Amino acid sequence: MSREINIPSNRRWKTAGWYILAYGVTLIILLPVLWVCFLSFRTSSEILNNPFSWPESWSMENYKRAFATLDFFILYKNTVIVAIATIVLEILITFMSSFALTRMVFKSKKMQNLIQLYFISGLAVPAFILIFPVYRITIMLDLLNSYWSLILPYIATAIAFNTLLFTGFLRGFPKEVEEAAIIDGSGLYTLCRSIVFPIITPVVSTVFIFNILYIWNEFPFAVTLISDAAKYTISLGISQFKGAYSIDYGGTLAAGMLLIVPQLIFFGIFQRFIIEGMTAGAVKG
Amino acid sequence: MIWLSKRKSIFVMLFPTLLLFTGYIIFPIIISFYYSTTKFTGIGTPEFVGFSNYKLLLGDSFFWVSLKNTFIILGVSLVLLIPFSFMLALLLNRTFKGSDALKALNYTPSIIAPIVVGLIWVFVLDPQMGLINILLVKLGLGNLTQMWIGGKALAPYSIGMVFVWQQLGFIATIFLAGLKMIPRDVYESSSIDGAGPKEQLWYITVPMMNETNRIVVVLVITNVFKIFETVFMLTGGGPNHQSEVLVTYMYNTTFTSAEYGYGMAISTIAFLLTMLFSIAYLKLSKSNFEGEGG
Repeated sequence: MSREINIPSNRRWKTAGWYILAYGVTLIILLPVLWVCFLSFRTSSEILNNPFSWPESWSMENYKRAFATLDFFILYKNTVIVAIATIVLEILITFMSSFALTRMVFKSKKMQNLIQLYFISGLAVPAFILIFPVYRITIMLDLLNSYWSLILPYIATAIAFNTLLFTGFLRGFPKEVEEAAIIDGSGLYTLCRSIVFPIITPVVSTVFIFNILYIWNEFPFAVTLISDAAKYTISLGISQFKGAYSIDYGGTLAAGMLLIVPQLIFFGIFQRFIIEGMTAGAVKG
Repeated sequence: MIWLSKRKSIFVMLFPTLLLFTGYIIFPIIISFYYSTTKFTGIGTPEFVGFSNYKLLLGDSFFWVSLKNTFIILGVSLVLLIPFSFMLALLLNRTFKGSDALKALNYTPSIIAPIVVGLIWVFVLDPQMGLINILLVKLGLGNLTQMWIGGKALAPYSIGMVFVWQQLGFIATIFLAGLKMIPRDVYESSSIDGAGPKEQLWYITVPMMNETNRIVVVLVITNVFKIFETVFMLTGGGPNHQSEVLVTYMYNTTFTSAEYGYGMAISTIAFLLTMLFSIAYLKLSKSNFEGEGG
């Protein structure tokens, strides 16, 4: 009798232990973010001298100062312009090339495979090796401090992954519908736009999410290619935050929070897609 | 499809991607190798010096420090990140109340901008105002406080810890995907044969994760060589280049000291090392795996 009662209660303890462990570990992992969020409502002197005391009032001063020092409207605007232009153009051109690589008939099949391999090999190239050469190219093209200086390398670094994703996806679809459309007289443009492009829309969302986060966070290219504050992207702007006279800890933290809050909201909404997309991207990369 | 495959239209469809990819990915690799064989300060024309930049590197103590630091971070990551993220994956691999939310929350550090990750950890690691040292003092363990950053010895380990924190949930998610691929009936038949959860973990789960392990190790290696922002924010490579990693040392040499040729030699070495390590690991693990299988 006692055994029969013991087993479930033992199991319940185990489940409870599991819960506590899972929630506890998560809390520890989030602790640095929560701590900094807490500090962003404290004055700089409290941060330095007495960070643990519970604040008597939650001060918005840091945020006001962050807004006064950095023009967040411009930072968000620049980032969004670069992101949208990059994403639209890269989807357009990599769709075109993936269409050619999977649907069009080359004189030499070998050449077709070779070009595809050439694009996908880009996955093995780390971005850091590109920074200085891209800087030189940007000077040569006289694009320094322009949106294009960032848009072009961002598109280029996305080509390998997009090619992998798009060609893989297009190969999985039968061509009969398209052939029928051609017989009905539709040209290349109509075919691409109204028949083939819709096929890849499910992976377009992956590309979109992947790139918007990448561009939002991207720092090495931005810090190298942009020195004009009017063209700063958000990550670059935050990294350049300094107080007027001394290091402004409170203001810097508030600025950091203003960088991550939009992306946390974005993550909250699309988390399922993001986790799946980023994981797939990493595994394939 | 042959009807629409005129030479000209194929060319038009491929051209933009081909141009950008060649111009911004392949051509730069060639340029950076070219610059690495020159002396160039940004003014005038680069002067060809052969491999002398590479020879200089061999005698450059800062280069060896940055190489050592990169390997310390790699070591910390392989020793801590992989087992911990595997354990986290096991922990999250059950459905319970809020398990989806926990997965997302643990994933958060890897989507936060790296520049803010660096900023956050300044307020955790800083010897004077950082959370860790303050907590130690409050707990009466003041003698355990350390120069986590800003000193000479601990900075690379601290940067390794930040990297572990940043990647933990992300790597755990990849392990989770691997765990999901193990067929359920393997566990069922093994428990009929009397295997407990521990045996199942050791003799089924771990060996069957071989493919995932390979992906994870290669990812960790390539990602360690990409670390830039955290060093930039936490120490700036200082004091006196003692906490540089290869990429920050390359960046500082190139852009702060304007020694472009020398910087590109470091860049080329870092690139070759990343490739070498990933390929070597893939080769090794593959022969191991096949050896076991046979």
